[in-house]
Amino acid sequence: MTTMISPGSGVRSWKDRLLGRPASAAEERRDVVRLHDVTKTYPNGRTALRDVELAIPEGDFVFLVGPSGAGKSTLIKLLIRDELPTHGRVLVDGIDVARLPRREVPKLRRRIGVVFQDFKLLPRKTVRENVAFALEVTGTPARRIRPAVDRVLALVGLTDQADQLPSQLSGGEQQRAAIARALVHEPRLIIADEPTGNLDPLIAWEIIQLLLRINELGVTVLMATHNAEVVTALRRRVVALDEGRIVRDEPRGAYHHDD
Amino acid sequence: MLRFLAFSLRRAWQGFWRNALMSLAATATMVLMLLLLAGFWILQAGLLAGLQFVEQKVEVVADLRDDAPPAEVDALRRRLLAEPVVRSVDYVSKDEALARFRERLAAQGEQDLTRYLDTNPLRASLEVKLADPRAAGTITDELRREPIVESVTDIENLVDRVLTVTNILRTAGAVVLIVVGIIVLFIVVNTIRLAVLARADEIEIMRLVGASDAFIRWPFVFEGTLVGLLGAVATLGLLGLAAEPIGRFLFDFFRVLPLEVGSLARDVTLLVLGAGLGLGALGSWISVRTYLIR
Repeated sequence: MTTMISPGSGVRSWKDRLLGRPASAAEERRDVVRLHDVTKTYPNGRTALRDVELAIPEGDFVFLVGPSGAGKSTLIKLLIRDELPTHGRVLVDGIDVARLPRREVPKLRRRIGVVFQDFKLLPRKTVRENVAFALEVTGTPARRIRPAVDRVLALVGLTDQADQLPSQLSGGEQQRAAIARALVHEPRLIIADEPTGNLDPLIAWEIIQLLLRINELGVTVLMATHNAEVVTALRRRVVALDEGRIVRDEPRGAYHHDD
Repeated sequence: MLRFLAFSLRRAWQGFWRNALMSLAATATMVLMLLLLAGFWILQAGLLAGLQFVEQKVEVVADLRDDAPPAEVDALRRRLLAEPVVRSVDYVSKDEALARFRERLAAQGEQDLTRYLDTNPLRASLEVKLADPRAAGTITDELRREPIVESVTDIENLVDRVLTVTNILRTAGAVVLIVVGIIVLFIVVNTIRLAVLARADEIEIMRLVGASDAFIRWPFVFEGTLVGLLGAVATLGLLGLAAEPIGRFLFDFFRVLPLEVGSLARDVTLLVLGAGLGLGALGSWISVRTYLIR
């Protein structure tokens, strides 16, 4: 449709990015996610996030940790604009989500791939159809769907299972199908909310490996998790939330037991 | 745009059959509700026709002087006919009046005593049938002023009472029809809402992967329209089978003329189709709305 988002200073427009126009050197490592002074209070009076400052540069791999109710889910909801901040600014890919007109929200979501603990696959569709669904419902021409789906299925290693239903797959395979669906729009950011929560440790590691590989391809990854073993072993950036505040943000962090 | 339409129609079709049991339940509810609506519509139409029939019975009878010259009677008749509120004017001669009187006595099984009379005591009269019964008073007054008119039967009270009853019945009929319409709307919308609720996961996924509202909404709206269309066709089929007895009932009970039954059938067809498609589409629209506005 029309150009809608007035980009913040120094940020390339959507159109430039969609057309693949090159970024200037100064913009090369910019923040994919930036939260400035964000507070979120729900209508029932519960404050889920307080004064949160967070910047995630492009290409980062970030673990988001913290006890249940610390505000991890709220943070994710703010990023995909399922909720709006009560106070402060949430920028995703340079776009202020609160100022985004409602009809532009779908375009924002196409730039973000979301993966959940419970996979959220459609049970009556095959793996291929589940992945293709994400493109169909955004009006992608049929001739471009097939190659794009094949490409992401190969990336997550599900080419052979493409025509099976989710119920015929193992948990790990279902999560890989969900990751394929999240990737099919070629997002700049993957948000994974407890992606290994339902998986046994060995399979969990496979999913982490897959997310790391996707990160190596240049996609920023934000992963909320309780998996101490994984967090500690990988020594990646760790952002810890507690009672709605960021209590720790370490470039090579570990999982602490009070997280 | 074409791709969007193709997508929406295909998804609507798939959605209908993937959840066939739910869709058929919604269609069955739709049929029942449309039958209810059509039934009340037909009753209402019959009631109106019946009331009109009763109102047409209202007539002003002017008894004429025996010495009234036929030319003047004819002139009066013409003048009355020229008034828009008058539907017809019948001249009843003295002989006809006597004949009718005798007929009525015979019908009641009474003895005919008139043959002992040597003259005919009854008067010739003009029977004025009214297109609008509310004009009875004015016409009566006018006739009373005519020199050739001996007397006018006072029917104003009767007219008032008939009009009061028919107006009450008309209002009641309209109210009942509106209430039934609202009930039908609620039930159909709720049924479709259940069908949409069963697919809340799908809508959530569509929102997550960045489907625009139109891509989420229209397949459901088309699906609802399909339910409405099937429901309407089934309803019309059932009504078609029952057309004959319905027509007979209307004629016997409400005095609806066969000609009016034809236009009633057209009205009911339009009503059922319109209500089916409209309710189906509206129901889906409302149901999906809940998921879109967040």
